[in-house]
Amino acid sequence: MRPGLSHTTILLVGLGNPIMGDDAVGIHVVRMLKDRNSGRADLEFKELSLGGLGLVEEILGYERVFIIDSVASTGTVGKICELSPEHFKGTEYASSPHSTNFATALELFKRFENSAVPHTIRIFTIDITPEFTFREALSPPVQRAAFELAELVGNEIEQIRN
Amino acid sequence: MKTVTINPVTRLEGHGKISIFLNDEGNVENAYFQVPELRGFEKFCEGRPVEEMPDITSRICGVCPEAHHIASTKALDQVFHVEPPPAAKKLRELLYSAFFIADHITHFYILAGPDFVMGPSAPKAERNILGVIGKVGLEVGSSVIKHRSDALDVIAMIGGKRIHPSCGVPGGVSKPITEDERARIESIAKSEVEFAKFTMKLFDDIVLKNKDYVNLITSDNYATETYCMGTVDEQSHVNFYDGKIRVVDPEGHEFAKFPAADYQQYISEHVEPWTYLKFPYLKKIGWKGLVGGKDSGVYKATPLARLNVSEGMATPTAQAEYKRLYETLGQKPVHSTLATHWARLVELVYASERLVQLSQDPDITNPNVRNIPTQTPDEGVGAVEAPRGTLFHHYKTDAKGMVTNVNLIVATTNNHAAISMSIKQAAEGFIKKGEVSDGILNMVEMAFRAYDPCYACATHTLPGQMPLDIKIYNRNRAILHNIRRP
Repeated sequence: MRPGLSHTTILLVGLGNPIMGDDAVGIHVVRMLKDRNSGRADLEFKELSLGGLGLVEEILGYERVFIIDSVASTGTVGKICELSPEHFKGTEYASSPHSTNFATALELFKRFENSAVPHTIRIFTIDITPEFTFREALSPPVQRAAFELAELVGNEIEQIRN
Repeated sequence: MKTVTINPVTRLEGHGKISIFLNDEGNVENAYFQVPELRGFEKFCEGRPVEEMPDITSRICGVCPEAHHIASTKALDQVFHVEPPPAAKKLRELLYSAFFIADHITHFYILAGPDFVMGPSAPKAERNILGVIGKVGLEVGSSVIKHRSDALDVIAMIGGKRIHPSCGVPGGVSKPITEDERARIESIAKSEVEFAKFTMKLFDDIVLKNKDYVNLITSDNYATETYCMGTVDEQSHVNFYDGKIRVVDPEGHEFAKFPAADYQQYISEHVEPWTYLKFPYLKKIGWKGLVGGKDSGVYKATPLARLNVSEGMATPTAQAEYKRLYETLGQKPVHSTLATHWARLVELVYASERLVQLSQDPDITNPNVRNIPTQTPDEGVGAVEAPRGTLFHHYKTDAKGMVTNVNLIVATTNNHAAISMSIKQAAEGFIKKGEVSDGILNMVEMAFRAYDPCYACATHTLPGQMPLDIKIYNRNRAILHNIRRP
């Protein structure tokens, strides 16, 4: 059975490479949220270092999914953005490294198992500067953004509950 | 002079760039495959406790962490001078067979498949997995997803996670499997065998029964004659997990057979200033540049190379498919780069059958899966066959087990020279008088895609889009054309 065919209603996914510093900010945010929401049966938390098919397999079966990841897009380190799968429209047919990309994988599963695809997928990103220094801690500006995003997503989760 | 640049290369983990230089007549004068990234894992690992290496090095890549994890674990066995119990070795090989299944399925259906199922010159909007599924049907697509996912489940049962397993420890593995898990693995394995056979038939129907594709596979544009390298068992059968490294010359004669620990006696690495990736070559032949043949130390370590260095496969259906490949192509060794896809499917059959064998082994649920190290750590080499070629991990430590030196030769590095040569050959064959279409460039890309190259530096991508830039310059490097795939 694939990992996502499930259980709880809300999944929070932190993406990143845990030994590549700011790249792992999504994982750090999810850990903060996990600390603040222990005991809530409607929440599940995952720390993942994958994309494409593997990522989509992990989110199947949940009603709502929050994905938190780092990006290098705006040049403003620490900037928080929200994306949805709609933002990746048009990349379904793009080639992807060694696996299929997120939009393509999502489109694939909509064709195979549409009922298992979450009805809400919200993607939050924090801008980082790509680096090749190996460390487990975040840089100060990204750490501040991580706290801010944890607060923001935490509030969103509260609103869903209410 | 004009320059054609493919940057970044699509369907490639990490970043790569192909530059093709045209002469005044518009024909190919030279071609280079560059990797403009510096990784630094070897340096970063210095000073770490060596037992952390299987977990650290598996983070090199989100595609083949299992290969790094197992090679690293085998290196730890040597570092600590400890021999794992038989059940531990079998569990490692079982996990590794499942990994090969997932990886080869992904490559055939998602990376290589679009070129053949949709056609090498098909519009790029169709030349992808969604196009493949549209053509072969949802049922097949669903089966692809299921069998890839089932193989990852097997990895999770032994390794703890579907990706980045953490079971490898010096002297064995961290836990045995239960009878329930064994039975589940056996059931999955049998289904994987049937799916591998189905995939082979699909390859027959779509590729081998198409005369144009067979001509493409056997054309001179895709023939790169080099030495071949791969791991074989005592019967000289292909083995992914353990054995000796065998090298044959371009005519198929044995050149060397050695334990992985002796790799430095046989392999050296050449450095060029224009790329961060090194060029390994056979030390006793020497580096003669990016040229093939018996007098050049360039070798390849691919699924096809593995078949070329072996005397067969250790399981029945895979052995039959092995024989059919060589009988059909009429020679051994085979140097047709695109035949690597076929070899990969022979290996998919073998990995599936091996998974069945291991799942039925009476010893596989034996709880004795670790011998605790008692010796002072010092140095070790671990090697496995990664799906895309031979992988070496070499560690040195101080007496406390802190890493003092690391050398990794990863699969794609082994193939770097051969990849560069294959790209040049394809470019020379297809680009004439400056005519460069999207389809022609894809046929150049097919030359390196067959190697399933991997230059990962991060373990995930969310959008995952890797656009293809094609820039054509005149001899003064002014851009004449700029084509960009979205």
